[in-house]
Amino acid sequence: MRPVAGAASLGLRAERGARRALGRRAEDAALATLDAVLASRVGAEAVDRVLASDLAVRAVGKALEGPLVEAVATDVVRYAVLERLAEGAFEDPELERVLVAALDSPAAERLLAAALDSPAAERFLVRVLESKLLDEAVQRLLEGEELWLVVNEIAQSPAVTEAITRQSIGFADQVAGGVRGGSRSADAWLERAARRALRRPPAGPPPEAP
Amino acid sequence: MTRAIAFAVDAAIIDLIALVVGVGVGLALSILSISDDLQTVLLACGAAAFAVWSVAYFAVFWSTTGQTPGNRLMHIRVCDADDGTVLSPRRSLLRFGALLLAALPLFAGFLPVLVDDRRRGLHDMLAGTVVVGVPSRVPSP
Repeated sequence: MRPVAGAASLGLRAERGARRALGRRAEDAALATLDAVLASRVGAEAVDRVLASDLAVRAVGKALEGPLVEAVATDVVRYAVLERLAEGAFEDPELERVLVAALDSPAAERLLAAALDSPAAERFLVRVLESKLLDEAVQRLLEGEELWLVVNEIAQSPAVTEAITRQSIGFADQVAGGVRGGSRSADAWLERAARRALRRPPAGPPPEAP
Repeated sequence: MTRAIAFAVDAAIIDLIALVVGVGVGLALSILSISDDLQTVLLACGAAAFAVWSVAYFAVFWSTTGQTPGNRLMHIRVCDADDGTVLSPRRSLLRFGALLLAALPLFAGFLPVLVDDRRRGLHDMLAGTVVVGVPSRVPSP
């Protein structure tokens, strides 16, 4: 009986090995076929047709109607997908360059000017100015000590005091100049009247310092 | 008119300073008990000090820069009638005395200013001085 059992066991082992080898070859052949299909013009055409078909539209619609969107959103939040993307994007110098170029462009300026000139911007500004929020903010600002510290700091700065001094001197000079002009005119008028009364010829210009 | 305004400014300065000093001295003396006789003497001293202060004010300015603050404000200057130089202290004192003389007959001594070719009053003629205009300086940038 022993030789028979050994032969049966050998046969079973050979059968299993042959099946495994056949399976691997079949998998490789299937993948190679798939690669060939994907790389071929026919594959691309087929994908285009599928995407353009009603079936694809219905499938996407069904997907958006179903719980897929919520699940994706939950996963996006859970795995901090947006943060990771933003981090990567903000650290990219290329993004900075693109942003600077965009802001420097005449188109951005035009866009900003158009936005500021629009009636909507005016309405927004009017609403902000009329809102209680602004009044409250101003009130809080006036009640805070920080504002007065800043005002004191500015008022005591050398530039401001110098400007005020210069302004005051300029004003005093202006007043003195006015007085001088008026008194010179009065001098001339009195002189003319006195000389006319005494029948004397008009005097020459007043003497000037050498 | 220009000289009158200049003189008024100078008088205001003289009086203001005299007032401040007088009030200060008066307050200091108020804590002391002073007899009437001494008060009279102090008043006379105060009057004399005021007179000296007034004379000194004009004499010093005329003999140093030729311009009192009032003159400076009105852009005029007192100088020698012959060569245009600054007055000596002696000439300044003489001009001040002549100024008082010109003011005595109801300020009639100032009237020649209106008809004299060099705009000189009696005091200028007596002291040999003349008042000239000072051109305005262009302010430096």
